[in-house]
Amino acid sequence: MRIKHSLFTRRQFLNGLLGGWLGALAVSLLYPVFKFVFPPTREPDQVTLPFSDFKDMKPNTVENFPWGSKPGLIKKNDDGSYTAFVGVCTHLDCNVTYLPEQRKFFCACHDGWYDQDGIHIGGPPPRPLRRLNLSIEGEDLVIKREGVE
Amino acid sequence: MKEQGMKKGFRSWLDERSGLSTIFRFMSEKTVPQHRHSIWYYTGSAILLFFAIQVITGFMLVFYYNPTLEGANQSVARIMTEVPLGWIIRSVHSWCSSFMIALVFIHLLSIWITKAYRKPRELTWMSGVFLLFVSLAFGFTGYLLPWDDLSLSATKVGTDIPRSIPGVGVWVTKLLRGGEDVTGDTLTRFFGFHVSILPVFLLAILAVHVYLIQKQGMSTPLAEEKKGEKMKELPFWPNFVYREMVVWLILTGILFSVAIFFPPSLHKAADLMAPAPEGIRPEWYFLFLFQMLKIFPAKILFINGDTLVVLLMLLGIVAFFFLPLIDNRPEERKGKFITVIAFLFIVYAAAMTVWSLL
Repeated sequence: MRIKHSLFTRRQFLNGLLGGWLGALAVSLLYPVFKFVFPPTREPDQVTLPFSDFKDMKPNTVENFPWGSKPGLIKKNDDGSYTAFVGVCTHLDCNVTYLPEQRKFFCACHDGWYDQDGIHIGGPPPRPLRRLNLSIEGEDLVIKREGVE
Repeated sequence: MKEQGMKKGFRSWLDERSGLSTIFRFMSEKTVPQHRHSIWYYTGSAILLFFAIQVITGFMLVFYYNPTLEGANQSVARIMTEVPLGWIIRSVHSWCSSFMIALVFIHLLSIWITKAYRKPRELTWMSGVFLLFVSLAFGFTGYLLPWDDLSLSATKVGTDIPRSIPGVGVWVTKLLRGGEDVTGDTLTRFFGFHVSILPVFLLAILAVHVYLIQKQGMSTPLAEEKKGEKMKELPFWPNFVYREMVVWLILTGILFSVAIFFPPSLHKAADLMAPAPEGIRPEWYFLFLFQMLKIFPAKILFINGDTLVVLLMLLGIVAFFFLPLIDNRPEERKGKFITVIAFLFIVYAAAMTVWSLL
């Protein structure tokens, strides 16, 4: 049945109403499911470590620290400065290792290579290792995500 | 006499309520065609045999396995060393997964090459492709559960692969991992996939798959159909089933022999912070993909190498799934070309696998 000047019949209207209502119900049920299966990210904004643990590092060596659930790497450079990296290969997320004799970072999963500054120089990695901002504040070594003040 | 009468009485009582006799009648009338290529008919039930072994050994392992960051590796070590006959059960479970997936590949390739997926069996093929991916997912999730350094790295790589898919990829990775990174949450999640989600999916799709096969009967190769003669047929029950049983016995014998002489190793517990160990490798059925990821350069033109590999993979999967619709003129040149692709794929996968082992 269609009322004069109406764009659709009564059946179409009711089907649309019912269908829309069922669709909205489905979305309202699926949304919490969707939210539930993705836990919040756990990457920290900042990590504070006692500087005394890293003061005696030899140049051209690397120490590990936990950057959330990823391995963080602190490297002491030849001039005595420190650099911090996220020790995860930019190709497919394997943990990298530092080879001091070759002055390179190496990922064993797919033969990825980075130089001592974390720049990708061989194999499949598409980007340099992620860097973290590192500063020495009194007794503390403060490591921050890039862009965090 | 009285006992027989009771048996008959019970049967008719049950039949009146369940209609089981319809199924028995169907089974006793079912026939299996006999020709040069009938050997491939045995692969399907052999997969079912291996799946049954996986279910039984899986039930047993879950009694002792502990799916937590602290306990997983240790509980597998306990199964291997303390639990009576635990090492055989784990070994059978581990080997049987390989056997099952190998047979799934053989089963699908034989259907591809004999073109058994042609009309009206397109849906049987598609449900079969789903079953292949569920089987691979079983293998992938199961590989993490011992939680040693090899399985951790393989999982990090495997769950990072979807990330290259533009748009939804990041969410898929997060969904699989239960967060940004592979952690104890990932282990719990993979255990859930492996023992509850995937089995439900597999059984549901399997029911559809088996129903379609019963509805349509066995497919016969084109070349045999063209001969025009009436094909020889074998009654399904008991002749064909007895032959299948012989195959099952042989395969079970091989499986248990391999499992007893080559039990799988268990490395030291995974350390989330440790660098990836050298010589990491996924299960053999992922090796050809692994090798592809390794040899693709970081950038091709202006696309990431791994993005390209993943997109190629996706394209391959979609084409594989819709193969019966693409291969719609099986007797013409196009059909023959698609058969050649099957052989090329076998050569390619074998070559990449060998290369990755060098």
